[in-house]
Amino acid sequence: MSFNTVILKNFFKNLKNYALYMFALVFSVVLYFSFVLMSQDDSAVEEIQSSQLMSTGFTVGSVLLVVIILAFVMFANSLFLKRRNRELALFQLIGLTHGEILRILVLENAVIYFSSLVFGIAFGFLTSRTLLMILLRLMQVELSVGLNFSVQAVIQTAILFVGIFTLLMIQNFIFLKRTRLISMLTLDQSSEADYSGMGIGTMILGLLGLIMISSGYWLSMNIIEFGSVLLLVLFGILFLTIVGTYLTFKASVAFVLNMIRKSKQGCVSVNDVLSLTSIMFKMKSNAFLLSLVSIISAISMGLISFSYISHYSVESLIESTVSHDYTFYEEEDMQFYSHLLDDSEIEHRPLVIPTISYVARGDGIISGNGDDDSEISLNIVSEEFVDDTEVDEGELVIHGLSTVVGVYMDFDLNRSITLYNDDYEVTLELVETNEDAALPSFVARGRLQAVVSSEVYSRLEENAIHDKEQAEPHEAFVIDIVGEDSQEIFQLMNGENNPLFESRIEQYTNQIQGAGILMFVIGFVGLAFLMTTGCILYFKQIGESEDEKDTYKVLRKLGFSVNEIVKGLTLKVAITFGIPLIIGLLHTYFAVNAGWFIFGNEMWIPMLTVMGAYIVLYSTFGLVSILYYKKTVRDSL
Amino acid sequence: MIIQAKDIKKSYGNKRNRTEVLKGIDLTIEAGEFVTIMGASGSGKTTLLNVLSSIDNVTSGHVYIEDQDITQLKEKKLADFRKKDLGFVFQEYNLLNTLTVKENILLPLSIRETKKAEAEKQFKLVSEELDIYNLKKKYPSEISGGQKQRTSAARAFIHQPKIIFADEPTGALDSKAASSLLSKMKQLNKKINSTILMVTHDATAASYSKRVVFLKDGLIYSTLIKGERTQESFYKEIMNTQSVIGGVSVEF
Repeated sequence: MSFNTVILKNFFKNLKNYALYMFALVFSVVLYFSFVLMSQDDSAVEEIQSSQLMSTGFTVGSVLLVVIILAFVMFANSLFLKRRNRELALFQLIGLTHGEILRILVLENAVIYFSSLVFGIAFGFLTSRTLLMILLRLMQVELSVGLNFSVQAVIQTAILFVGIFTLLMIQNFIFLKRTRLISMLTLDQSSEADYSGMGIGTMILGLLGLIMISSGYWLSMNIIEFGSVLLLVLFGILFLTIVGTYLTFKASVAFVLNMIRKSKQGCVSVNDVLSLTSIMFKMKSNAFLLSLVSIISAISMGLISFSYISHYSVESLIESTVSHDYTFYEEEDMQFYSHLLDDSEIEHRPLVIPTISYVARGDGIISGNGDDDSEISLNIVSEEFVDDTEVDEGELVIHGLSTVVGVYMDFDLNRSITLYNDDYEVTLELVETNEDAALPSFVARGRLQAVVSSEVYSRLEENAIHDKEQAEPHEAFVIDIVGEDSQEIFQLMNGENNPLFESRIEQYTNQIQGAGILMFVIGFVGLAFLMTTGCILYFKQIGESEDEKDTYKVLRKLGFSVNEIVKGLTLKVAITFGIPLIIGLLHTYFAVNAGWFIFGNEMWIPMLTVMGAYIVLYSTFGLVSILYYKKTVRDSL
Repeated sequence: MIIQAKDIKKSYGNKRNRTEVLKGIDLTIEAGEFVTIMGASGSGKTTLLNVLSSIDNVTSGHVYIEDQDITQLKEKKLADFRKKDLGFVFQEYNLLNTLTVKENILLPLSIRETKKAEAEKQFKLVSEELDIYNLKKKYPSEISGGQKQRTSAARAFIHQPKIIFADEPTGALDSKAASSLLSKMKQLNKKINSTILMVTHDATAASYSKRVVFLKDGLIYSTLIKGERTQESFYKEIMNTQSVIGGVSVEF
């Protein structure tokens, strides 16, 4: 029997042990291939107005994906190498050179790689259909998803994975070169990190970690106050939370667990043996990995939350900036389109809305910096031009108060607001604030709008001082479609030689598609992050279960049942998976809380949805780990 | 003279916390000798074996095998040297669970592409000598510890290496299985004239050899030569020396 047949036999017999590694590979291929395939789907690209944005989004997403995949596959490979230590050592003992062993590894990996690539591409093809449907749904594009297979996507995927393959072989070669034969023979016995005790240093570090995280959180709560050095504060928060997280894992967790252990005074139960002590030893050496997991979780949850918030808020954001279905720059333009619509027998309502600007002060206005007698400039609109708003004589309603503006400015209802200029002033009672805009944004110029009764408006109008030097528009020309506006009407008006205009439905479509792509790409990358961190933790648990096999054996010989041992291990899995998750969730909450208003006007529903989905998916990996432990314990005796 | 060690020192750990395991050992082994290294736990016997067999590197000193300094050899030459001249038997069996007993034993011949008929002949010779010929189609998970140990020994002998290194080869065996393995090793030592270097803490095992070297705290403490004595009287002397080193009196 030649040596090659020995190697092949060994390989195929061992295939069961390689399953994990193959899974990692297939998973990565699926991820990448479906992503590439989707970005090259012509039928979708044609249909979508913002295809430029789409391709940019996909490019950024694919670069991130490559980074994640590379890190993930290399991690899996290093675990895989460690498990095969003794086999490789034996080959060296009987006289194979490093080069020959590397050749074996290349051969084996090539088989694994090639089959994973084929499987992955097949799966990826199926997944990409589903994913594309999700994407189009998010972008609110009606399009049936066909079956496009792109050879170019296959080639692109193949090139990437050949590149990764080369890197892995370099990794293997370095591993072989650097590991002494003696340490390979004894490696699997020395996995337990040396235990350096719970000194005063650990305690200080542990406290420091918690303090750093809390001060990071505190800064994020009060970020508005640091407007002038915002960037500096942002980096400060990042630094504090990231280093704090690391220290927490390095010291705080072990410290707390040790306190619990001490309080038991030697009477350790089976739960303690399997969870507390084991975690205490491993937490320190796994500190880097676990803090990576929590930070990555926080980043993906935070980013997905932000993108979901902006997707969720598109409609109300449009409402607060765009007041009418169509807005025109000149009165003639409005008339032109009015005729056009009449010709097509589309019922509509053209409007010319006059407006004047006044300075306002009074108890009703609360500015962000707590200054009581602050003044703001308002655009005054008469009540007759604003739908759904009832204003009596002596009353005033503020319009266009979006969430972003609301951060800097607030109003006290049922208090007075005085509108004034050099010659005239009138004091009115603020009865309501409203998010929706009453004027087109290029007329309002970022100012809030005050809606007053028509009598008050005409008095203000008479006394207005028209500043000749500032050529501000005093009228807005708009058309509202009676009933629902539609893409057909927009296309009818959007002729090539027609005058310029702004359309609410067009802005909405653009924004919802943009937000849809953004959310999809971020969601996809976030999902990739989630899956890889989950897999890495799971692989880690498998490794630990191998190491602890003897412990289970001893415990079972002592008379503990499988269920009792698994109960202890469940606690361990809950702690190993749970602590990074909890820290990640906290990080996410404080990050989203600090910046959500930039992206939209609803925080809780999108954030909690994202967190809920994340927790469910993440816990699946914990559950699978427990099942694996159960199997190991059952087989240990 | 097949192995010559000159002033071997070996220490572990970092600069601040250094443990010196071997403190300067000189040892010469002639071709065809069966030498045992003994000593209390921590005396450095396994480390010495690892260093002499090229598995571990020395901190200082030289190891010559057939006048070639293996501490200076390149990885490729070293692999070649292991392939041709060395055989290993370990306390743990180090068998591939995915291969049958026969395939495991034939591994060293496979990598040098020996002719099938020749390999078959060698296998029959060695496996019958070690009483495992009938197990050839079994997998390691299906045979007993002693049988695994003998498989591992057969693998070390099959390519008729010049030197066989054995680390506690009887550690996992009961006394009957141990003595059968040792007498087989002794016979093979005679038959194919391999040099055997064995590490053990078991005086019975040591009494099969021609010379016993005692280590204490990283230095050679004393050497016993069997000469023309019977195995029994040699055994007694080994026991006596052991109790002197360990400071424990042994009652007979």
